[in-house]
Amino acid sequence: MAIGAIGKSHPRIDAVGKVTGATRYPGDQNYDDELWMKILFARRPHARILSVDISQAESLPGVVAVLTAKDVPVNEYGLQIPDQPVLCGVVSGKQGADIVRFVGDQVALIIAESEKIAAQARDLIHVEYEDLPVLTDPRQAMAPASHCLHPHAPENVADRHRIVKGDVDSAWANCDVIIEGEYHTPFQEHAYLQPEAGSAYLDEQGRITVRVAGQWAWEDQQQIAHALDLPPERVRVVYDAIGGAFGGREDMSVQIVLALAVMRLAERGIQRPVKIIWTREESIIGHCKRHPMVIKSKWGATRDGKLVAAEVDLVSDAGAYMYTSNKVLGNATLTCTGPYEFPNLRVDTVAVYTNNPPGGAFRGFGAPQGHFAAEMQMNKLAEALGMSPVAVRLKNILDDEKLLSVGTPLPGGVSLKQVVEETAHAAGWQTTARPAGRSKPPALKGRGFAAGFKNVGFSFGYQENSWAKVALEGTAQIEQATLFIAGADVGQGHHTAMLQIAAEALDLSASRIALVVSDTAVTQSSGSASASRLTFLAGNAVMGAAERALACWREEERPAVAEYTYLAPQTMPIADVEGQPSTPNFAYGYVAQSVEVEVDTETGAIHVIRVVSADDVGRAINPQQVIGQIEGAVVQAQGYAMLENFQVEDGYILTPHLSTYLIPGVLDIPDQLDSIIVQHPDPRGPYGVRGMAEMPYLPLTPALIAAVHDATGVWFDDFPLTPERVLRGLGKI
Amino acid sequence: MKPAPFKYYAPTTAEEALAHLAEHGYDAKVLAGGQSLIPTMNFRLAQPSVLVDLNHVSELFYIKPGGDGGVLVGAMTRESQVEHDPLIAERAPLVFEAMPHIAHPQIRNRGTFGGCIAHADPAAELPAVSVALDARLRIRSQAGERWVSADEFFVGFFTTVIEPDELLVEIALPPMAPRSGCSFQEVARRHGDYALVGAAASVALDHQGRCQRVRLVFLSVGEGPVEAGRAADLLQGQFPTPEAIRAAAETAASADVDPGSDIHASADYRRHLVKILARQSLTQAFDRAKGIGG
Ligand SMILES: Cc1cc2nc3c(=O)[nH]c(=O)nc-3n(C[C@H](O)[C@H](O)[C@H](O)COP(=O)(O)OP(=O)(O)OC[C@H]3O[C@@H](n4cnc5c(N)ncnc54)[C@H](O)[C@@H]3O)c2cc1C
Repeated sequence: MAIGAIGKSHPRIDAVGKVTGATRYPGDQNYDDELWMKILFARRPHARILSVDISQAESLPGVVAVLTAKDVPVNEYGLQIPDQPVLCGVVSGKQGADIVRFVGDQVALIIAESEKIAAQARDLIHVEYEDLPVLTDPRQAMAPASHCLHPHAPENVADRHRIVKGDVDSAWANCDVIIEGEYHTPFQEHAYLQPEAGSAYLDEQGRITVRVAGQWAWEDQQQIAHALDLPPERVRVVYDAIGGAFGGREDMSVQIVLALAVMRLAERGIQRPVKIIWTREESIIGHCKRHPMVIKSKWGATRDGKLVAAEVDLVSDAGAYMYTSNKVLGNATLTCTGPYEFPNLRVDTVAVYTNNPPGGAFRGFGAPQGHFAAEMQMNKLAEALGMSPVAVRLKNILDDEKLLSVGTPLPGGVSLKQVVEETAHAAGWQTTARPAGRSKPPALKGRGFAAGFKNVGFSFGYQENSWAKVALEGTAQIEQATLFIAGADVGQGHHTAMLQIAAEALDLSASRIALVVSDTAVTQSSGSASASRLTFLAGNAVMGAAERALACWREEERPAVAEYTYLAPQTMPIADVEGQPSTPNFAYGYVAQSVEVEVDTETGAIHVIRVVSADDVGRAINPQQVIGQIEGAVVQAQGYAMLENFQVEDGYILTPHLSTYLIPGVLDIPDQLDSIIVQHPDPRGPYGVRGMAEMPYLPLTPALIAAVHDATGVWFDDFPLTPERVLRGLGKI
Repeated sequence: MKPAPFKYYAPTTAEEALAHLAEHGYDAKVLAGGQSLIPTMNFRLAQPSVLVDLNHVSELFYIKPGGDGGVLVGAMTRESQVEHDPLIAERAPLVFEAMPHIAHPQIRNRGTFGGCIAHADPAAELPAVSVALDARLRIRSQAGERWVSADEFFVGFFTTVIEPDELLVEIALPPMAPRSGCSFQEVARRHGDYALVGAAASVALDHQGRCQRVRLVFLSVGEGPVEAGRAADLLQGQFPTPEAIRAAAETAASADVDPGSDIHASADYRRHLVKILARQSLTQAFDRAKGIGG
C-alpha cells in the first residue's frame, strides 16, 4: 500500500548515482565528434564596441567558426524583459547592442576542435573599445546627469514601488520611541558546485537540442527560440543532472549561444555536437548575483511596544540588466517592514541599472535584504524599549486578520506566532535572560532572534502554473505508472518529493512509478524551480494529473493517460495607486530563528554555537529533505552574514575565484542546529504543503548580528561580519 | 586543467633520486605529497619537464629519536603522521600544536613534512615553526651532504637554499631545554585556510626566571617566516611579566613586521593580529616554561 508515501523520509532517488559518480552532469556528456566552444567575455564594465576583428582567430588551425553579434537573428534576451544582447557587437539587428554594460557581457563565440584551440583563438580576437563612464553607485546612477544605460529606463530606473498606508507624517507624534537606521547589504555569489556547462546538437528530428542545467526548461526553450527566431518546437531543451542553482541558473548562460552555434554550423553543413564548460572564474563573472541594497528605515512605536509608523527608502542595485530585479524588488518592498502590522507606513523602493554585475534571483529573492533591515529595526526597538525581542515581536506579528503593508491579510493560514513561540521555547528565551556559560573576555557570548515570512512563487500578478502528466498501465490492476514532470531537480530533491506525491495520490508503490523529467520534447512547463514554489505548484499538478488519470482508469482506458495544469489563485502587482490594497501573493511560508554566538573581541572572529530554526512547511512531504533545506539555508546565510565578501571595484570583480571568494566549509558551520518542522497546513497546498526552501535563509543574518550585539554591545548595520569589520566596529583598529 | 607533459621517474633510493636530479638539474622537480606542486603544474604555473617522485623512497619516511634528545623526521613523512606521533607530542610540542592548522586532514594525509618546508610558502606553518625551534635541515646531493639551520634555509618568497641537484632529506628538531615552553597561535578566515597571521613562540627561562632565549616567528606577514628580533631583544634578560610581554607584542607589531594588504585582510588588521597573537603566544609559552597551564 502506498497511502502514507508522504511524510516519510524516502531515500533520495538521485542519491546513489551522485555518490557513486554515475550521474551525468552537463559537462559529463561526451560525443565522439564533439566540438568545443569558448566565449569571449567583454571583461570591461562599460564601453562601446567600435570593431571586432576575428580574422586571426578564424585562421587558427582547428577553429571551425567564430560567431559575433551579426550572427544572432534576434539579438536580445531576458527572463523578465529582453534588455540584454546575446552577443555585444557593432553589426546587429538590436539597437544598443554595441554597448558592453558589465564585465560578463559576451562578445564572441569560438567553436574549435578542442577547448585549448578555442581558448587560443579567443585570445586572438581583437576588439576595439571606447570606454564609457562607469556607473557603480545606484544612487548616483539615478541622478539626472548620469549616463542612461538603457533607452527604456530614464534615470536608469529599472523598477519602482511605493506603498502608502494610513498617515505616516502625523503618526510620528504618537510614537514614544523612534528607531532609525541605514542598512547596507552585500553582493552574494551562488557558488554552486557545478559551473555552467552544456552541449547541443541536432536530434533525430532535426531539433536544435540543448542539454544543460537550468531551473525552467520550458522557459529556456522559449528564450532560445526567440533569439534564434525559430518556432519553439524547433528547439528542444533537456536537463542533465543539476549541481545546485539557488536562482543563479534562472537566467540564460550557455543555452542560447550553444543553440546558436549548432544552428549556424548546420547552415555551413557541419552537424557536430558543441560543448562548453565554464571555468569557475567564467561562472562567477558570467552569472548574476544577489542584489546589494541600501535601506533607510525609520520606525516608531509606543512605550509598550506597539508599532505605529514606518518609513522605508530602499535602493536596489540591479546591475547591468533586468534579470529578475523587478520580482526581487517586489519581495524587498513587501518584506522591508517585516512580518508585522503597521497602521501607518510609507515604503519607497527602486531598482537601478548600473555597470555592476547584474543582480538576479538568489534564494529569497529580495526578502533577505528586506528582512535584514526590518529585523535589525525590530531588535533595536526591543533594546530601546527594554523588552525581549520575542515579546515585542509577538505584540505586532501578522496573523490571519492583521493587514500587510499592502492593505490585505496574508492568505492561507498564518503561523507566525507559532514559529516565534516554538523557536523561543526551544532556545530558552522565556526562561533565561542570556545563554548560560563560560563567557569570559576576550570571548563574549550573545544570542539574537529574528522572524521571517516569504511568498511562494513569483506572483505579484504573474499567473503561477504547473503542468504534469500521468500514464497508468496494467489490465485489472495498475501495474506501472509514468509521471511526466518538468520541474528541475537542482539538488533539492524535487523528483523524490513528486514521486512520493504521485505514490500517495495513486495509492501505488513508488517502485512502480517511472519518472520522465525536464525534456521539452515530452514535457510542458512545470514552472521554475525557484521562489519556494515547486512543491506547492508541481505537487498540485501531480495530484491533479493523478486524479484525472485514475478517472480515466476507472473508465477502462488502457493505458489511462491524463495531463493537468494547476493554476494558482490569481494575484496582482503592488498597486500603483497610493492607499489601494493589493493581494500580491497566494501563499506564504513562515520562520523564526535564534542564534547563539561567541565573539573573540581580540581577533574579531565569530563562532556560531547554536541555531534554532522553526519553519512552517505546511506539510513535510519528505522530512529529511526539509531538514536538508533548513540546514543548507542556514549555512548559506551564515556565509552571507559573516564570510562571503564579494568585492567589486569600478565594475570589476575582485573575487572571481573560490580562493578569493570564501564560502563556508564543513568545519565552519554552527556547532549545533536544531531544525523544528512546524506543520500548519496551507489549505491550497498539496496535502497542506507550503513552500519552504528560502524561508530558513531569511532571519539568520539579522539574528546573528543581534547575537553579536548582545555579546559586544555594538550594532553592525552592514555585513559580512568579517573579523576585520567586527574589530573596526569595536574600535580596536 | 592538466599539466604540461613531463618525464616521470620513480626512484626507490635517495641515491637514485639524486642521480636523476644531477642529470636534469633545473628541468627537474621532486614530487613529495604533491599538494602544492600538482596544483601549480595543473595551472601551468610550473612546467617541469622531469618529475622525480620520492613516494617510493622508503628511507625518507621516518620519525625517530635524536641522540641529543630531539627528534629526527625524514623529509617524506606525511604531515598526518607527524600530527599523531607521540614522540613529536613529547619532544616537539610546538610542531605537534601547529600540525592541525595545516589545511585539512585529507591534505595532511598526502602532504609531507619536508615538502611543506621545502616549498617555503610564507603562509605555511612549518617554516615558521622550524625557525622558532632552531631546527636543522639535512640537505643531500650526489657530492655529499650539508646541514643548514632553519633561519638560513629560507631566503625569500617560495625560495630556499636547496640547489636543483639537492634534496632535503631530514629535519632535526632539537630537544626542549629545561624551563622552556612554546606556543602556536593563528587566525584564518576559515578552518583549514592559510593563516591571515600565525605566530610561533619558543622561549626558555634561566634559573631566576628571566628570559634566556626568545624566538617569536610570524607567518603570512612577509616573504617567508618573519622573526620578531626587536621584540625578542626587549624581553631578553627580563622577567616575562604581563607588562613586558605586552610591550614586546607592541614592538613586534610596530617594528618587526611590515604586513601587506590583500583581498582577505588589510595591513592594519594583520598588524593588529600580530600584536594579539604575539601576546597570546608569548604568554602561553612563558606559562608553560614556568610549568603553568597545559
Ligand atoms: C587546499 C590546500 C590548503 C592548504 N593549506 C595549507 C596550510 O594551511 N598550511 C600549510 O602549511 N600548507 C597548506 N597546504 C600545503 C600543504 O601543506 C602541502 O602539502 C605542502 O605545502 C607541500 O607539501 P607536499 O609534500 O605536498 O609537497 P609537493 O607539493 O610535492 O612539493 C612542493 C615543493 O617542494 C619541493 N619539494 C618537496 N619535497 C622536497 C624535498 N624533499 N627536497 C627538495 N624539494 C622538495 C617540490 O619539488 C615542490 O617544489 C595546503 C594545500 C592545499 C591543497
